[in-house]
Amino acid sequence: MPDSRILNVSRDLVLSRRASQIQRLTSLLGRSFLFMVTSVSVLAVLFIIIFITRDAFPFFQIRGFREFFTSTHWFPSGNPPEFGALSIITGSALVAMGAAIVAVPLGVLAAVCLSDVLPFSLRQVAKPIIEILAAIPSVAYGFFALVIFAPALQEHGGIILTVCLWMLALPAALLAATVISDLVVAGIPTSRRPAMRGICWLTLVGGALFALVQGSGHLLDLTISSGTNALNVSIILGIMALPTVVSVSEDALQAVGRDLREGSYALGATRAETLVKTIIPAAASGIAAASILGIMRAVGETMVVWMASGNAAQIPTPWYNLLQPVRTLTATIAGDMGEADHVLGSARYHVLFAMALSLLLFSFGSNFVSEHIGRKFRSRQAGG
Amino acid sequence: MELSTRKTLDRAFSGTGMFSICLMTASLLVILLPVFAKGIKAFVFRETIENRKMILEQFHRGDSAALDIEWESARTARQPVYDAMQAFRIELDTLEGSRRRELRSSFREVESALQSLLGPEPGSTLSPLLRNRYGQTRWDRAQVKLQQVLFREAWDYSRPGEAGTRQWIPRKQTFAGTRLEPMFDHLETKLDSMLQPRWTFYWRFLSDDSRDSHLFGGIWPEVLGTLYLTIGAMLFAVPMGVIAAIYLTEYARPGRVVQILRTCISTLAGVPSIVFGLFGLAFFINTLQVSSSKSVLAGSMTLALLILPTIIRASEEAILAVPRTYKEAALSLGSGTWNMILTVLLPAALPGILTGIVISMGRAAGETAPIIFTAAVSVGKPLTLLQTLTQPTPALPWNIYNLATEHAAVEEIRHVQFGMVLTLVVMVLILNATAIAIRARIARRMKG
Repeated sequence: MPDSRILNVSRDLVLSRRASQIQRLTSLLGRSFLFMVTSVSVLAVLFIIIFITRDAFPFFQIRGFREFFTSTHWFPSGNPPEFGALSIITGSALVAMGAAIVAVPLGVLAAVCLSDVLPFSLRQVAKPIIEILAAIPSVAYGFFALVIFAPALQEHGGIILTVCLWMLALPAALLAATVISDLVVAGIPTSRRPAMRGICWLTLVGGALFALVQGSGHLLDLTISSGTNALNVSIILGIMALPTVVSVSEDALQAVGRDLREGSYALGATRAETLVKTIIPAAASGIAAASILGIMRAVGETMVVWMASGNAAQIPTPWYNLLQPVRTLTATIAGDMGEADHVLGSARYHVLFAMALSLLLFSFGSNFVSEHIGRKFRSRQAGG
Repeated sequence: MELSTRKTLDRAFSGTGMFSICLMTASLLVILLPVFAKGIKAFVFRETIENRKMILEQFHRGDSAALDIEWESARTARQPVYDAMQAFRIELDTLEGSRRRELRSSFREVESALQSLLGPEPGSTLSPLLRNRYGQTRWDRAQVKLQQVLFREAWDYSRPGEAGTRQWIPRKQTFAGTRLEPMFDHLETKLDSMLQPRWTFYWRFLSDDSRDSHLFGGIWPEVLGTLYLTIGAMLFAVPMGVIAAIYLTEYARPGRVVQILRTCISTLAGVPSIVFGLFGLAFFINTLQVSSSKSVLAGSMTLALLILPTIIRASEEAILAVPRTYKEAALSLGSGTWNMILTVLLPAALPGILTGIVISMGRAAGETAPIIFTAAVSVGKPLTLLQTLTQPTPALPWNIYNLATEHAAVEEIRHVQFGMVLTLVVMVLILNATAIAIRARIARRMKG
C-alpha cells in the first residue's frame, strides 16, 4: 500500500480537468493581455498615420497638390494666402545634405577606427563620448548653435572656414602627393626613382599649397551676413547625427567577422587595405543603413533648425549656397502652429499637418529602406 | 606601389580614423565647455546690494539688520550722484534753447540708464514692474550698464558705401561744463561702494520661483515641470515597454505577427519628434480630450510614445542576455512560465532594463518638440501633483528656447539661459553616467 504522503503529492502534481482548464484559460488571458500591451506600438503607428492624414487631407482638398509641391511662395497669413512649400522642402533637404556631408565620412571613419584600429582600453573611453554626444538634448545643441556658434560664424566665419580647410585639405594633399608620385615613378628604373619621386612630390605639394593659399584667400574675404544659416545648422545637425552613424556602422563592421579579416591579412594586405578593399565593401549595406538613419535624424530634428537656421522661406542662390538662411519643414510646423492653432480648420492649420505627413512619409520610406538593407545584410552574414 | 607608401597609407588611414574621433571629442568639448563655464555663472557670481535687497523683499531670506547697515553706506555713496542730477535739473532750465534740447534728450538717456543701474531714485513712486524697482543685481551686468551711463553709442557713416562703424562717445564730453560732469567720474570710481558687490553661491537658483519673467529669481517651475513630464512619461512607458519586451522575447513565436510588431516598433522610433507633438495635439487633446488644453498629462503621454521603442529594445536586449540556463533551471524545478519570468528572468535582467530606462529618461527630459503643443507654457507657477492632470507647465527645454529667442530682454538674462542649459545638460549627464555605471557593473558580473 503506497504511502499517503506520496499520494497527496501526486494528487497535487496531476491537475484535475477543471484546474487544468482554468490554468489554460488564465495563461491564455495572460498571453492576450501581453499581446495587447505589445500592440500599443502598432496602434500608435496606425493612429499617428490616421490622425496626421486626417488633418492633412483637408488642406489638399482645399488647395490641391500642385501649389504645395511646386510653388516657392510661402505666405500663409497673406491675403490671399499662398502655401507653396517647395522652398521649405528644399531647405529641409539642404540641411540634411549638409549634415550628411559632415556626419557620414566622419562617422564611418570613426566607426572603422573604433572597431578595428583602437585598442580595447581606448575604445572603452571613446564609447561614452559618443553616448554623451547622443544624449545631449537637442535644445542644448540649438542653444549652442544660436548663442555661441552663430555669432562666432558671423564675425570670424572666414577664419573658421579657412582653419577647417587647412585641417582637412593639407593632410589629404600630402597623402595624395605621396601616392601619386609613387605611382608615377613605378615605371622607371630603380636607380633614378628616389630623385624623380622627390621632384614629383615637391611639385605636387607645391601646387597643392598654392591652391590652398589661393582658396583660403577667397575664404578669408568671405563676409557672412548672418550666422544663423544653413551651414551652421548643417554642422550642428551633422554632429548630432554622428552617434547614430557611428554606432550603427560599427555594428555592421563588427558583424563582418574575423575570417574575412584574417584571410585578407594572410594575403599580405595592410590593415588599411584590408579595411578599404574587404571589410568596408562587405559592410557597405550596413553602413548605408547607418547613413540613412543619420539623415533621418537630421531631417526630423526640430529645435536646432528652428533656433539657428534663420527661418527664411527661400531657396538659396545658387541652391548649394549654405551661407544663406533657410527654413525647414520641422521648424515651420513648430513655429507656425502657435498662430495657426486659433484658426482651427483653416488651410493654414491643415498645411502644417500636410508638412507633418510629408515628414512622416519620408521617415517611413527611409526606415523601410534601411530595414530592408539591414535585413539583407544580416541574412547574408548569417548565410556566410 | 612601394612598401613604404603602403605603410604610409596604412598609417594615414589609422590617422584619419583617430582624427575623426578626436574631432568628435573636440566638438563635444566645444559644445559643453562654454555651457559649463557660463552656466556656472548663474550659480556663482558677484551679487550687488540690489540682489540682497531683492532676495530679502521677494523671497524673505537674508539678514535685514545687516542689510540696513550696508544700505546706509551705499546710500551715502550714491547721494552725490543724485545731488548732481538734482542740481543739473535746475541748471537745465537756465540754459538757452538749442543746447537745452540737446542736453535734455541726452539727460533722459542718462536717467534711464542710471535707473536700471542703481534702481529707482529715492523718493520716486514704486513701479508695479519688478524690473523697475531694483538696480542691477549682478556685478557683471552692472559693468555693462555703467558703460551705458558713461558712453553714448554712435554710428559713424562717414565713409559712404561701407557699413557704419560703432563708436563710443563719452557722455562726459556732452555734459562738459555742466554740473552733471563730475557725476560721471564719481560713478566710475565709486560704483563699488554704491553696489557693494560680493561673491555668492546662489544654489537656490534651482529652487526659487522666477520673478518678472526670469529677470529675477530661479528656475524652480521649469525644473519641477521637467521632473513631472519625465516621471509621467516613465509611468506610462516603462510598464508598457517591459511587458512588450517580455512578450516579444518569451511568448511570441516568430512569424508574420511578430514581424509586423517589430516593424512598427522601429517605425515608431523613426517618427520625427515634432510629428509626435502634432499627434499628441490632434489625438490626446483634440480627440481623446484627456485635458481641455495643454497639460502635463497629455505631454507625458506623448513623450511616453516617443521613448517606448527605446525601452522595448533595451529591455528586450537585457532579457535576451540572461543565460538560458537560468530559465531552464527554474522551469525544471517546476516553476510556471509566468512565475519564472517574475522571479528569475526579470531580476536577472533588471540592471539592463534599468540602463534603458535611465537613458530614455534623459531623452524624455530633453525633448522639446513633442511638448510644444501638448504641455509647455512660457510662464507659470509650480504645479501641485493634482494640477498636472489639467494644467500646462513651464519646462526646461521649452523655456531655454523661449528665453533665448522670444524674451524681450534676451541679453539681460543670458545667465539664466545658460543656467537652464547647464541644469538640463547636467541632469541628462547624470542619468547617462548612471547608465554607464550600471552597465560597467553588469560587465564585471558577467566576467565572473
